[in-house]
Amino acid sequence: MSERDVILEVEDVHKSFGGLAAVAGATFDVERSSITALIGPNGAGKTTLFHVVSGFYKPDHGAVRLDGERIDGSPTHRIVRRGLVRTFQLTKALTRMSVLDNMLVAAPAQPGERMWRVFATPGAVKRREEEVHERALELLSLVGLERLADDYAAVLSGGQRKLLEFARALMTEPSLVMLDEPMAGVNPSLGVELLEHMRELQRERGTTFLLIEHDIDVVMTVSERVVVMSSGAVIADGPPDDVRRNEAVIDAYLGSPHAHEEVHEIAGESSS
Amino acid sequence: MTGLANVQFWAFVGVVAGIFTIFSLGLQVQFGFAGLLNFGHVAFMAIGAYTMAILVVKTGLSLWIASLIAIAVSMGFGLLLGLPTLRLRADYLAITTIAFGEIVRYLALNEQELTGGPQGTINLEGAGAAARYNDEWLDFQRTVQGWLEVLLGDNATRDVTMLVIVWTVALVAIVLLQILVRSPWGRVLRSIREDEDAASALGKNVFSYRLQALALGAALGAVAGLFFAFQFSFFSPNDFEPLTTFFAYVIVILGGTAKNWGVPLGALIFGFIFAGTRFLDVWPLNTFDSAERAYLRLIIVGLILIGLMAFRPQGILGKREELVVE
Repeated sequence: MSERDVILEVEDVHKSFGGLAAVAGATFDVERSSITALIGPNGAGKTTLFHVVSGFYKPDHGAVRLDGERIDGSPTHRIVRRGLVRTFQLTKALTRMSVLDNMLVAAPAQPGERMWRVFATPGAVKRREEEVHERALELLSLVGLERLADDYAAVLSGGQRKLLEFARALMTEPSLVMLDEPMAGVNPSLGVELLEHMRELQRERGTTFLLIEHDIDVVMTVSERVVVMSSGAVIADGPPDDVRRNEAVIDAYLGSPHAHEEVHEIAGESSS
Repeated sequence: MTGLANVQFWAFVGVVAGIFTIFSLGLQVQFGFAGLLNFGHVAFMAIGAYTMAILVVKTGLSLWIASLIAIAVSMGFGLLLGLPTLRLRADYLAITTIAFGEIVRYLALNEQELTGGPQGTINLEGAGAAARYNDEWLDFQRTVQGWLEVLLGDNATRDVTMLVIVWTVALVAIVLLQILVRSPWGRVLRSIREDEDAASALGKNVFSYRLQALALGAALGAVAGLFFAFQFSFFSPNDFEPLTTFFAYVIVILGGTAKNWGVPLGALIFGFIFAGTRFLDVWPLNTFDSAERAYLRLIIVGLILIGLMAFRPQGILGKREELVVE
């Protein structure tokens, strides 16, 4: 095997809720500075896997490694500080805070987030605040929200909230960004800009992206690698063109021939 | 109606409002900024007052050192309460905290050896000894009174002196809280109140911030307890009924949740209603005797709260946008 620079490894991860195995033996990895797509039919376990990787759930079994170190079971906030940030399928805009505050709160290394430093080192707090303020406005203008910076995030539309979450995730200065359906509800032309910006960050900062996406066109154009999940397991993994022709993937999306037979049998019995 | 013009009477009302301001600021930190439904806040007041009184009477410690220890002990209890409960959902947290408040009061009621039991702090050294804990405080108060006499002459009575001291502390607390709320620390707290999952997904240690809010609120509750003890020279478990916590909620909501300057405003209105009902001796209310009329204030407080919820749910200083947005 050639030397691959892997940033994230997911190894035989299992996660069940009662009798339901949401993730059942998922294994794959993500190369550094790549854009990787995670696809699969509804209920395949993609979002659950995101929850496990980002520390919201502890896996029942298996390991998750970031830069070669185990992160499974670590609390979410520590994982974020190590450079892995995620967004949510159902956006979590902080609605009663301004759009700008949504951005500022995400900035790392703000000494003023410690109570005593607020009083002890107000100068350092203010300096850091000015730094991140600039970056926040830069990112907001990138997603076209700079005009709304001082409004409550509650006034944003569904698509704008997706964009805010994307920009806010970038505020944490991440090395790996996991996006849960970033394009859902986003106006297509803005979506194209978003993808361009992802590529730019990938080129200039070496940022890695792992995204769950249902829009196959987006997946095929933007990602260098596609990981396909079905029924909690990874069933295919490779370049977009290979995955597109994979038998197992076609079955998973269209239903297996065996399942069709069963449907026919049941229908036949009930009609006789 | 001579009472209405009586400076001493209003000074007393002001002292009580000041103590409630400090007490409610503690709740403001926990409920207003961190979104924690603490229904046992009165326990921190009780722990502060009792710790100080017990240390002064039983160990002979200086009142000032005893007071600092009392604040620390109260914060310790805040952490103790938070460690097992802060991971609970909001409604379970509310139930647990109300139980915590009652546990503290029942302990004070039943641990006679330690607390003096139902007779209160006068019984701290056993029956008949009439224990005192605030001699040092009275000395200090007389000193301050001496300074005030230079400015105010005969008006600088004991209650006016207390008024000045309590409100000085209350204003300092408000200013410090205002700085904290506007700092990045306060911003993190607000983000947690909004959505704890979003906050942790941005690298914030939700649990730690909630503990900090609980401990800071506990410290303010203890300070209020200390002033309560200083003002009244004597207290008993009855002074720490759950109702006291709910008065603080009325004050916070009246002024406007998460608005620091709303707290003193709410406390003054509350104090005015509470003391002012004694002047309602006009027909038909004067057909009740004064003890019965005392209950009117609860009714009035309730009516004001209902009216506020109907016409100005954000409180006097609150922003309506923060309530209606989704």
